[in-house]
This record gives sequence, C-alpha cells and structure tokens, in this order.
Amino acid sequence: MTLIPKSRFLGGAEIAAVLVFVAAFAVPAITKSVLIYSILNQALVGVVAAQSVWIMLRMNLLSFASPAFMAIGGYTVAIAGQYEITDVFAMTAAAFLVPALVAIPLGALVLRLRGTYFVLVTFVLSQIMQLLLFETPGLTGGSNGISGIPPATIFGTELATNRQVVLFACGIALFATIITACLTRFFRQHFAAIEENEILAESLGLVVWRYKALGFVVAAGIAGLAGYSLVTMLLTAHPSSFDSGTAVDFIAYSIIGGRSSILGPIVGTALMVYATNLFGTHGQYAQGLYGVLILVVVLALRGGIVGTVSTLLRKARGA
Amino acid sequence: MEQFLQATIIGVSLGTQYALLALGFTLIFGILGVVNFSHGGFYMLGGYVAYACVAHAGLPYPLAVLVAILATGALGWVFELLLIERLVDDHLATLMLTLGLYLVMSTAMLEIFGPLSMDFRFPVTGALRAGPIYAPLENLVVLGVCLIAILGLWLILFRTDLGRALRALADDRSVAMAQGLRPKILFPAAFALATGLAGLTGALVTPILSLSPGVADPVLATSFLTVILGGLGSLGGAALAAFIVGIVEAYSSVYFGGSIGALVLFVLVLLLLVFRPQGLLGREIRGA
Amino acid sequence: MSELRVEGLAKRFGGLRVFQDISFTLPSGALLGVIGPNGAGKTTLINVISGRQPPSEGRITLDGKDVTGQPAHAISRLGVARSFQQTNTFKSVSVRENIARAVRFGQRGMPAGLEALLQEFGLSARLDEQSDKLPYGLQKMLGLVMAFATGPRVLLLDEPAAGLERAERQHVDRFVAHVRDAGASVLIVEHDMDLIRRLCPRILVLDAGVLLADGPPAEVLARPDVIAAYLGDTEEAA
Repeated sequence: MTLIPKSRFLGGAEIAAVLVFVAAFAVPAITKSVLIYSILNQALVGVVAAQSVWIMLRMNLLSFASPAFMAIGGYTVAIAGQYEITDVFAMTAAAFLVPALVAIPLGALVLRLRGTYFVLVTFVLSQIMQLLLFETPGLTGGSNGISGIPPATIFGTELATNRQVVLFACGIALFATIITACLTRFFRQHFAAIEENEILAESLGLVVWRYKALGFVVAAGIAGLAGYSLVTMLLTAHPSSFDSGTAVDFIAYSIIGGRSSILGPIVGTALMVYATNLFGTHGQYAQGLYGVLILVVVLALRGGIVGTVSTLLRKARGA
Repeated sequence: MEQFLQATIIGVSLGTQYALLALGFTLIFGILGVVNFSHGGFYMLGGYVAYACVAHAGLPYPLAVLVAILATGALGWVFELLLIERLVDDHLATLMLTLGLYLVMSTAMLEIFGPLSMDFRFPVTGALRAGPIYAPLENLVVLGVCLIAILGLWLILFRTDLGRALRALADDRSVAMAQGLRPKILFPAAFALATGLAGLTGALVTPILSLSPGVADPVLATSFLTVILGGLGSLGGAALAAFIVGIVEAYSSVYFGGSIGALVLFVLVLLLLVFRPQGLLGREIRGA
Repeated sequence: MSELRVEGLAKRFGGLRVFQDISFTLPSGALLGVIGPNGAGKTTLINVISGRQPPSEGRITLDGKDVTGQPAHAISRLGVARSFQQTNTFKSVSVRENIARAVRFGQRGMPAGLEALLQEFGLSARLDEQSDKLPYGLQKMLGLVMAFATGPRVLLLDEPAAGLERAERQHVDRFVAHVRDAGASVLIVEHDMDLIRRLCPRILVLDAGVLLADGPPAEVLARPDVIAAYLGDTEEAA
C-alpha cells in the first residue's frame, strides 16, 4: 500500500498564475491606451505586494509590513539610480535581497512569538519605516523623497516609454509570481499544516518558526520587488508611496481574491484596482468598498472570490 | 525647569489618554481574544459624534461627550453581538472583521464630514499659572476626566460582579463558562466598554489636537505599541506602559522635536521584545 | 535507550500553581499511568514534558540529556511524542495526508508496524476520507496513530480513552501493546480506572498539583489519601 502520496510539483493554479503574467506581456502590443497602461501598471505593482501578504496568509499570519519592505526595495533602487546603477537584473536582485536580508533578524525576533504579536509588530514596523524615511534626509531625501530616478536599463537599453515600463512591470510580476509559486508549492504541506493546526504540527516535530521565518524573508523580498516596480512607475521614491495605510489595500486584495490559491491575490488585485479606478477622483472611497467586501468574505465567502468560484464549479460538476 | 514641568504635565496627560485606549484594547484582547483593528476608528468616531452634537445639534459639550460614549459603546455592542460573536474563536477572522469595520467607519466619516480637519474646539480655554508651571486648562480637564474614567474602570473590573465575571473569562474561558458565566452577554459588554472608552478619549482629545479621518491610524499604532510594551493581555502592564509612552513622547517632543522620539520609542519596544518578549507585566507568549 | 526523568518539576501561571515538586522516572520501555481528579494538572504535566509550555522550575532529562525548556518540535525530534485529550488532527485533509504529515514532520521515516495499526483500527479502509468526517472514536485513534507515526521512543498519551465508547476502549489497549512491541515507553494520563488497572504495572497519583503516590495500582489505590482525593471527584470509570 502506498501510504505516502506522491504529488506533482506543479499545480494547476500555479501554472495558470504564471500564464496570466506571460499573457500580460501581450497587452502593450494590443493597445496603446494610456489609461489601460496605467491601470495595468497599478495592478502589476499591487499584485506583487498582494503576493507578499498572501505568502504569510498561507500560514495564518497577517503581515502589515509590506509597505516597509517595499520602501526598502524602492529606495535601494532609487539610491542606486543616483549612482547611475540601473541595470534591471542587478536591481531586481538588489530589490529582492536587501529587504530579505533585513527581514532575517526581524523574522527571528518576531516569529517565535504568538501570531497576534506578529500582526502588531509588523504594523509597528511600517510605522517605524515611515519615521525612518522622514528622519534620514541625507540618505532618503526625507519628506521630499528621491525624484528623477533614471529609468531601468536592460542590456544598456533604457526602459523609458510607457509601453516599456508596463513590460518591465510584467517582467517583475512574472518573476515574483514564479518565486511565490515555487515557495508555496514546495512547502505547501508545511504551510498548510501550520495554517490549520500549528500546535499539532509542532508536536509532530515540525520546526514551525523556521518555516514562518522563511516565508517572512521571501515575502519581504517579494515586497521589495513591488517597491522596485512602484518606484519605476513613478520615477520617484517618496514616503507617501509607502504609507502604512497601503498595507490595508494589499491585505484586502489577498483576502477578497481568496487566500487559498495563488490566483487569489491576482484576481483580487485585478478586480479591486479596476474598481478603484471606477471611483475616479473619489478614490479614497475605495477603502470603504474593501471594508464591506472583507466583511462579506470573512462572514460568508471564506474562500474569497477564487475559493467561492472553485467551490461552485466543484458542486456544479459533482451535481 | 519650566520646560521639564511642562513636559511632565503633558506627559502625564498623554499617559492617561493612552491608558484609556490601551486598557480598552487590552480588555477586548484579554477577554475575547480579538485584536481590535477598529480601536482607532472608535476614537475617531467619538470625536465626530461629539463634534456633530456640538456643531449641528447645539448640545453643550459635556452632553456631547456623553452621547459620544453611548454611541461608540452601542456600536461596539452591536458589532460584537452580530458579527464578532460568530467567529470569536478564530483570531485572524475577528481581526479581519474589525479591520473591515474600521474601513467602513473611516470611509463613512470621510463621506459625511469630508477629508479636512474639523473646527472643533475644547470649550475650556486659558491656562493655569502657578509659579514655574504653565498648564493649559484643557490638558488638566482631560487629565482629570481620564483619571476618573480609569478609576471608574478599575471599580467596575475589581469591585463589581460584572467585572469579576469579565476577569474570570479573561483568565480561563472554559473554566469560567463551566461555572455558568454567559459569554453572550459578557462579550458584547466587554467590547462595548472598550469602544466606549475609546470614544470618550476621542471626544475629549480631538478638540485639543485635531479631528479628521486621519487621526485613527496614529491612535491605533500607539495602542499597539503600548500593549506590546505592557504585555499583551495585562491591564496593569497596559496602564504602566501608557504612562511611559506618554511621558517619553512628551519629553522627546519638548526637548528634541520632530518624530525622533516616536522613532526611538518604537525601536526600543522592538528591542524589548528580544530580551523580554512578555513585555513589562505580561504572561507567557511563546508559540501559537 | 530512552529513559525520561523528571525532577522537581513545577508549573505556575501567574499566581496559579498548577503543580509542583513532581519527580519520577519513566524507564526505557516502561508503562506508567497517571491518575488524579479533574484539575489536578495532568494535561499541563504532559504539556510541560512535551515542550509545549516551559516549566517554572525543575529539570527534564531524556537519556541523561537535559531537555528542560526546549520547544515542542525539539522534544518531538528527540523522540518524545504526545497525543491530545480532544481529537486533534488536520481536519480539512484526508486520513492519508494526516499520516503523511506525521511521518514527514517526524523525519524518522515510516515506523514498522504503522500499516498494521491502520489496518487494525479500520483506518486503512478510510484513508481517503476527510479526517473530521470520521466518527469521534476513529478521529481519536487517528491522533494516536499519528503520534506513533513520528517513530517515538517515548509516548505521552493524554486521556486516550476519553470520549470513546466502551467497545472502542480495547483499541487503546491494542495501541499501547503495539507501541510497546515497537520498544517505546508509554505514559498514560487517564480517568478510566479499568483501563489503568488493566494496563499499568505502576501508577502516579496527582491531586491538586501534588504527587501523592507512585507505585503498583493495587497498593496505591488502597491508600487512604488517594481514596480521599477521589471522594470529592464525580468522574470515575464510565
């Protein structure tokens, strides 16, 4: 009897997720609409940040630190730009690694404690980052930020036009998705065990805090990539882009989209960014919509949009 | 010397305000196990309700404050009873619920009152001058009211049956329930008590500082910081930490200016987590 | 070799003293029962020995190695497994996946006799059922099997028979026999006196956090202080 099941490394959802971003590369070829580029770019930045949140949600941990790590990634690139370092491969590595390295000691500190502490501490971290940005004008430009960041370059070519920036954002999002998919797929049983019953998992011998720390470090790197993408889109690194309130947006995208599947943050980001743009100049009301949807998801549609749809599909097939 | 006394008075006043917020937050966490993300929102709501009573309904300020307490308490009661109660054992879910509530609340306030600061003034002006001491009366009044509120809370928690029941639930819910305590009444009561305190603090402090949709976030951050410092779940720790935070904030803003003080405080608290993760007076917190 | 020794163990929560001055040795391959009225601190004792909570005082050694204060995963890796009083499984996944996780996290590979155990308890036929859809008794047995699946040298069982029907309690006997055949020592916390008398050549009595007695059941259960401790307690073998 084969007791232990062998499972495929690649899951359907992960493949679909990667394909979504491969397909996204086609958009600039199909349309020249600046509005679509803008919405798409916002979504491409948002989805990477939402994935950062989603990685921790896989272990039932809610992180508010995404803006802080986004800031580290974004400012790293902005500062490097001041020294004319703009190569996209070097900067992608830097935008991932610098926040990840910062996350290592932080993770070791916080992740041995209760999940509730994790939430509070990550919230405080994003407040600290905001203050740090304001209080270090020599490095970060303080309340002015760093503007006029030179465009990213790939093999010497500048990515300066709207189209090129969108393609760049697609590339970052694709890369981030591959990393996220590999991590969550490879460790899915460990993460799932921690999410469902951490005490049992630990009593069976799982070194729970190490997996949480691994997730935290990778999530920090992913958020750093989102920061790189954001800073490239705006050509400016400014504290207001990394305001701790934006953490709520990314959390909303993940929860509303569905926390059980890698497609969740993608669907959630796409729909919420689109909906926010419908609000037009009243964009601040979008958070009210997020609030209502979060309540609906948590109370009734636990799986979020993707979870609910897949449950309905399963029932339709089974019936 | 004057600066020092000045800073001390401000610090103690801030301490009592933070204490009310932190105590309420700790009540909800200790008794229900819920991290209340809408705590800052109730502070903001208290401010807006009091403002609306004064500016639109023409009520005298003390009455407005009372209405604010009742409104925030009632909303807290209803929210707990209808929504939180269904998921009270799922910590992440209840946190998300309070987050959702906060987003709805702040958008509603934004819609009703707009994004700018309200012209909401404290009715008592002037200052007390006694030798080297210069203390704005508004600070003293708020200090006084907050101290009375803290005393009232202490009386409720330690001298009434309701309070004993609440503390028993916080200590060990299963044992308390086996002894017949009914969470159905007690949980909403605990939540309402906490949100009422947040609303009271908002109604008192926003006329002195400012009233806009943005005031909720720093209040939440300070509440979090205070309960981490004091030890999550410890009432005594929350109160003690609140005074420490208030006083440090007051001294650093008087002597250093800017937000260096807040930054140093945040970083110190994070470091504290390394060496003493249970905070000042908290209990064990290792593991799940 | 897997001698578990506990010396001067105490646990306090705030002002509440759960137990103190607990000392005993569980020799390699032995079977020890722990009884006591409700609230005597028995589950907390297992929590502390298994590393879920740190002791307030005292030492725990495994084969002479001091493991006091180590976290649950470390204690588990050293070969001490525990079961839970309430059913405790990964509810949303299948029986098969539950066992797979136990083996995977235990990192010692599938222990000999695992498949036989699954067969014996009727779990082999239900490998692909979702674990929380199983009847209560089977979920309880699954929890026991999962603890065994980590390949332990010492098993701490927290009221394995609690909630089981009379007919199902013999499964616990069979489980303990299997486990001992595999060479592990067992500590059982129980309320079911019949089971304790049947299985355990030696028992500890815990009352209000104090170790009252340590010896063979016939002797221990005849002691007046042990009898008195139980007079106030309404829960006895069903």
